Amino acid sequence: MVTAFLFASLFFFMIIGMPVAFSLGLASVLSVVFFSSDSLASLALKFFQNTSTKYVLLAVPFFILASAFLTTGGVAQRLIRFATALVGHFRGGLAMASVLACTFFAAVSGSSPATVAAIGSICIAAMVRAGYSQTMATGVVMNAGTLGILIPPSIVMIVYAAATEVSAAKMFMAGFIPGLMITAMLLVTIYVVARVRNLPALPFAGLQEISASALSAFGGLFLIVIVLGSIYGGIASPTEAAAVSAVYAFLIAVVGYRDMGPVRGTPWRKPDEALPASIVRNLALTVKGIALSPFDHEVRHTILEGAKVSIMLLFVIANAMLFAHVLTTERIPQTIAEAVTNAGLSPLMFLLLINVLMLIAGNFMEPSGVILILAPILFPIAIELGIDPIHLGIIMVVNMEIGLLTPPVGLNLFVAAGITKKSLLWAAKAALPWLAVLLTALIVITYTPSISLFLPDLIEQWRTQSVAQ
Amino acid sequence: MKALLEAVEETLIGLLLVALTLLVFVEVILRFGFGTGVIWAQEVSLYLGAWFILIGASYALRVGAHIAVDAVVNLLDGPVKRAVAVLAIGLSLLYCGILAVAAWEYLGRMFQLGIEMEDVAIPRWLGQSAVLLCFLLLGARLVALLLAVLRGEADGFKHLDEAQEALDALAEHDAQTKQPDAGRK
Repeated sequence: MVTAFLFASLFFFMIIGMPVAFSLGLASVLSVVFFSSDSLASLALKFFQNTSTKYVLLAVPFFILASAFLTTGGVAQRLIRFATALVGHFRGGLAMASVLACTFFAAVSGSSPATVAAIGSICIAAMVRAGYSQTMATGVVMNAGTLGILIPPSIVMIVYAAATEVSAAKMFMAGFIPGLMITAMLLVTIYVVARVRNLPALPFAGLQEISASALSAFGGLFLIVIVLGSIYGGIASPTEAAAVSAVYAFLIAVVGYRDMGPVRGTPWRKPDEALPASIVRNLALTVKGIALSPFDHEVRHTILEGAKVSIMLLFVIANAMLFAHVLTTERIPQTIAEAVTNAGLSPLMFLLLINVLMLIAGNFMEPSGVILILAPILFPIAIELGIDPIHLGIIMVVNMEIGLLTPPVGLNLFVAAGITKKSLLWAAKAALPWLAVLLTALIVITYTPSISLFLPDLIEQWRTQSVAQ
Repeated sequence: MKALLEAVEETLIGLLLVALTLLVFVEVILRFGFGTGVIWAQEVSLYLGAWFILIGASYALRVGAHIAVDAVVNLLDGPVKRAVAVLAIGLSLLYCGILAVAAWEYLGRMFQLGIEMEDVAIPRWLGQSAVLLCFLLLGARLVALLLAVLRGEADGFKHLDEAQEALDALAEHDAQTKQPDAGRK
């Protein structure tokens, strides 16, 4: 009865266009008021706790802030230059470079639509100029863009960690190899297609260009070194690493690259400038850049943009936790879990079921929302069936990647349609052949747990060894 | 007056986020660089986070940042669409109302108990009062939205379109790179 009410009211509230956060909150609050003996005051306490007890969730605003500073066109251009220098000389090199640039960009931003927008706006046009079909160019970028939520840092993974009490650090480690695997699969597919269609290759860029472009991309790519290094090395928690990333991203955007802020566009070395003069000038500029930032229109705007997205997500999370609270007090997941195990469902069948369920749900809601609602329900069943919680998380994230490419709410499709000025249907068709690569990857990742678990297990081993010594 | 209040709101939210980031950052640097820590840092950062979200919720409503499923509503038109919008806003008000009453009761009890936060000498009810503030502010914005819809000035919630957002950010950046002085004072 409560279950029926909870889900029916949630569904109704969302259909009539109430914000997802309010829908989740109202459905839970009404269930408590009508069916439970809990006091109203305990609800308020629960709600406050939802916004203030999970330290890991603070990583969400920090990573969003870091990504807001780094997702300007300047960083994307540097990453694309580096990727092109690395793989441009293969057949289909420009398409490969786009995939690689998406992978790099995924590592500085935790968002997939942002990746497609930043890389796609430059790469699609470049590929079309070089003789690729627009369909292929767009399809490749849309698919590689989904890596944004699989390659750490990833907002969706933090949300999963918060919803299921799994370690976010472990999720980050687990996403790394599947992310690289999908990148490699896309690269190989492009190479084969390029051979068949006889697509162009660029001349080899030369070692000098490779090292020069690597140096210029380093400022952005160093972010992932900070994040992964400190988390994998066990020095810092994801939240702490995220705070450091946010401060680093601000410094690199304002003082390093000078893409925004008070000293925007000032060169590090003017032509004919003597070295000492340049050093003194740059020191002064650094101080100026930092000191004037609080009053700078662009910097303030970037911070507010980051704040806006963070608040939206965290408010949904707070309400979804209220929803999960009602679910657990009513023992709904346990009931479903018992029914599922009694039905004699094998773990493999269950994973297939999850794939189908998440692919459908992913068609109608954005990734964090789907994870927040489904994770509390699916998680206990998975544990019952002996599926590893980290592995389950990775499966869910890869499913959500595919959801980003399927209408009606595939965000990457909307972005790509916007860039190319084509219809949503056209974008969906362009994405379709490459979706086969992602689906294959999903099957491989679902049925080979070790791809996801290898790295976290390995690092766990190292740590226990070093503690034992 | 309205513009001033909105500027204050934006500055406050920006400051909360920056303070939160810097607090955690400084704590990390102190711990790993100098081997010392700040005892109250964790509790204060958690409370700052809560205030950021709770005060921000109504700001997010103003700028249309809350996501919603609008596929069905967009199929509707005219008076039906407005009627559905009124229903959705009304139910949102119910949500705020129930939680505001709940928060009032809870804070009242905390006030009587008179306990302080764990590491900081601030009464707990005061630290947690953001939860009441959150639903009062949200409620006020919802009432304003309801009136606007009834007067025919709006046709429902403004929604964040993440895809459009990513494209807008790009267009904005392009515009700025083309005119180096745009957006700067």
